[in-house]
Amino acid sequence: MVRTTRAFVAGAMVLVALALPGVASRAATVKVADPTSVVMIVNRDSNEIAFMDIKTKKIVGKTFLGNNVNPHMVMMSPDGRYVVTGGTRANKAYIIDARTLELVKVIPVDIAPEHLAFSPDGRWYYQGNPEGDSISVIDMVSLTKIKTIPGLVEPLNVVFVPDGSKAYVGNYGAHWVGVIDVRRHELLKKIQIAEVPGVAKLDPAKYLGEIKGINIPQITNDGRFLYAADTDLGVVGKIDPREDKVVKVIRVGKAPWRIYMSHDGNYAITPNNGDQTISIIDLRTDKVAATLEAGENMTGVNFAAGKAFVISSTSGFVYTYDMKTLRPAGRIKVGSNIQLETATTDAADEKLYLADSTENAVVIIDAKTYAIEKVMNVGLFPWGTHIMDSKDNYCH
Amino acid sequence: MPRMANMPGMGERTTQTNAEGGFSFDQVAPGQYVLQVDFTGFERSSQEITVAGQPVTVTVTLQPLEIVGVQPAPGAPGAAADNEALLGRIKALEQRINELEANTVLSEPETRVKRIEVYTDPNGNQYDQPTPGAKKTTTYQRERVYRRQVLSEKLEQALADAEAKKIAVGVSAASVTHYASQTSGSSHDADGHFYQLSSADLLFSAGLAQYTSFFADLVGLSGAPPDAEISGLTLLNSYTARLVRQNEVNVREAWMRTELFSQRLAISAGRLDLTNYFDRNGFANDETSQFISDALVTNPALGLTTNGSGVAGVFDPKNGFAFKAGFQQSNTDATNLSESLYTLVESDYVARPKGLSEGSYRVWFRNDNSKGSNRNGVGISADQKLNPFLGLFGRWGTSEAEVKRDNFYSLGFQVQNGVVFNPLDYWGVGYAQTDLGAGAHEKMVEGYYNFHISEKLRLSFHLQHQFEAPSGSGSTGFLLPVVRVQARF
Repeated sequence: MVRTTRAFVAGAMVLVALALPGVASRAATVKVADPTSVVMIVNRDSNEIAFMDIKTKKIVGKTFLGNNVNPHMVMMSPDGRYVVTGGTRANKAYIIDARTLELVKVIPVDIAPEHLAFSPDGRWYYQGNPEGDSISVIDMVSLTKIKTIPGLVEPLNVVFVPDGSKAYVGNYGAHWVGVIDVRRHELLKKIQIAEVPGVAKLDPAKYLGEIKGINIPQITNDGRFLYAADTDLGVVGKIDPREDKVVKVIRVGKAPWRIYMSHDGNYAITPNNGDQTISIIDLRTDKVAATLEAGENMTGVNFAAGKAFVISSTSGFVYTYDMKTLRPAGRIKVGSNIQLETATTDAADEKLYLADSTENAVVIIDAKTYAIEKVMNVGLFPWGTHIMDSKDNYCH
Repeated sequence: MPRMANMPGMGERTTQTNAEGGFSFDQVAPGQYVLQVDFTGFERSSQEITVAGQPVTVTVTLQPLEIVGVQPAPGAPGAAADNEALLGRIKALEQRINELEANTVLSEPETRVKRIEVYTDPNGNQYDQPTPGAKKTTTYQRERVYRRQVLSEKLEQALADAEAKKIAVGVSAASVTHYASQTSGSSHDADGHFYQLSSADLLFSAGLAQYTSFFADLVGLSGAPPDAEISGLTLLNSYTARLVRQNEVNVREAWMRTELFSQRLAISAGRLDLTNYFDRNGFANDETSQFISDALVTNPALGLTTNGSGVAGVFDPKNGFAFKAGFQQSNTDATNLSESLYTLVESDYVARPKGLSEGSYRVWFRNDNSKGSNRNGVGISADQKLNPFLGLFGRWGTSEAEVKRDNFYSLGFQVQNGVVFNPLDYWGVGYAQTDLGAGAHEKMVEGYYNFHISEKLRLSFHLQHQFEAPSGSGSTGFLLPVVRVQARF
């Protein structure tokens, strides 16, 4: 028996809903008891977040967001209480109760919200709005948008430093990284990671036609530095966040998509879609240790079982590399005439959960044996996956 | 991290608080529950409760809902009531907008054709799930989705779809200008002469079927290369190898390619340039962007002087090892393949020696029966990056000849990143030596700098020095400054 509660708002009439067994089920039913036990799947065309139990590989619930919402990236709050996503074509952020999978809040943000991040303490949810050139700041205590940070240029990804005092924003429409003062939620600085070469003015078709700048400034595992790849310039800039200055520029292959940190903290990888290679950067020397052949249209890199797994979106392959020898380690064929998106790695670094959008499937890859298993009908056009506490949670 | 057992089949109960804000639920079975509290003007409170047969007391605190841009006048009479009414109104409007947006299709639903697996019985009845008497078959079906696309996305997709169905056409054009200055030997007519050779390749490619494609390269050349006047064991201008007849368009390559065994094995058949598959040295293999001397583009011991009809197979499991085998007609005047058969096999390995970057190492073996007997050759080729700036390359080869064996080697380096004018420029220096069994020798040294002007345009400056020592006569030396303009689009 539950006895009473105490007062919460003096003089107020309050509706209390208590989920109980044996009564007609509705949203408040607990569907996910352990937030680390599920893979979250963003289904872009069925406009929902699906939750797949890692052990049983069954979909335990789905949260429908609304027609034409087109969610882009999903993430669990650090306390495991909420799941959030940005609805790109609805211009809204969606907050889902992680246990009941009930949609508890819809918050209008700026134009075309895509990628997002939480502050380390879980208080702030930064939602990037690439077509609004802004970041929406959402308070996870009150579940309200408290501010919009303007002045960015197609902000794609946000990364917080470990103490939560600053956040760094990759601007895909420019060649600089934005530094956000998290206490005031204001753009503090712009850090240009490399100069545009003088010869660029002879190539207006490339430099004036379309800009492909910085996707994400990725922080090292020890939190001491950030590395940001610039696609047009073909370089990676190393930023010291203590002084907010570039301390090293490393040339990599053509058109690096972004940079991914290995779990042991020794290496970083850029998939270079311009020349279909990957550059492996030794973070101890800040030099390219190896440039190896890869596939077309690479969308992500995961690390597991001592290897790197590079997703080649349109070829249907995942290319693998031995991170000890820094040599190719084969490739995994996922299918033909399919499109692969991004993957997350489980917390044990044993399996990858790869979104296979055109097959409406999630592909589970065993990192040791390369065996694959497809979980079909997870929703329409799965665009990305996420596991709480995974080291490979990213989007594209 | 709060955790509780999953309890499928749970329902909900609701109640309202009393005037003091208290409430209670009776007859609650032991278990784990979610308690939610709502009130107009406040954020929802949601928390877990564990019931274990004993009364549970819970205290709930609601946070006021903050609406950006709405600030009630402090201390104003009736401000709280006004604010409450305003918040209620805003919430109602938000709800209406959300419903409107959710239910209004602003763009047509997108459709996509998917390959699906279904189950069909002998009567032709189709089932989505396995059904007794029905067998699994594959079919295609349209799928309707609710993806809202902006106009630019629709246009991009339509253009990409149209592009994928077209035959891709590319152009590779180059103009190479030499100046010859004799440095040693008896007087030669070529001393002080300028030479220019222009080349244009039209490249066509198209997809024919799953993992099967067609490629053709039509080339036309015009002008006079130095090789017409300065005879050597190898070509000063590697483009000269493409020259069949001036001012005519010739088929350089035309082949079909298919990929088998999960795309591990690629087989190309047709008129081929086998050097596109074999001995692909990373720093000395491309006359369009690296060295211009043929001795620093390929290995003369390969003994392959012309393209011809043939087959090339490349087995590459993408694990650092690759195996290649091919054959082609080696004499275009031959009336059959059996008497002009050139065969080649190669094994490749990607290594990463301790402390160095990656390198590629190859060993090959070839046989040619076009001279009336089998003549073999063997060679190695390597390119090794020492660091992100400097890479070394080397080749060695030996082949059977009419008199003794012909021997060849080359070596050199390429520099990029940091020691260049522009970020994507690179430069290199190479040396090649050819020693024929019949006694003739050639030494070639070349340095070049390649300017990356734009994605489509490159300009390079070269300096060649050739020493030619024909069998039984004195040596001749030439210094040749070269300018190459190369466009590709």
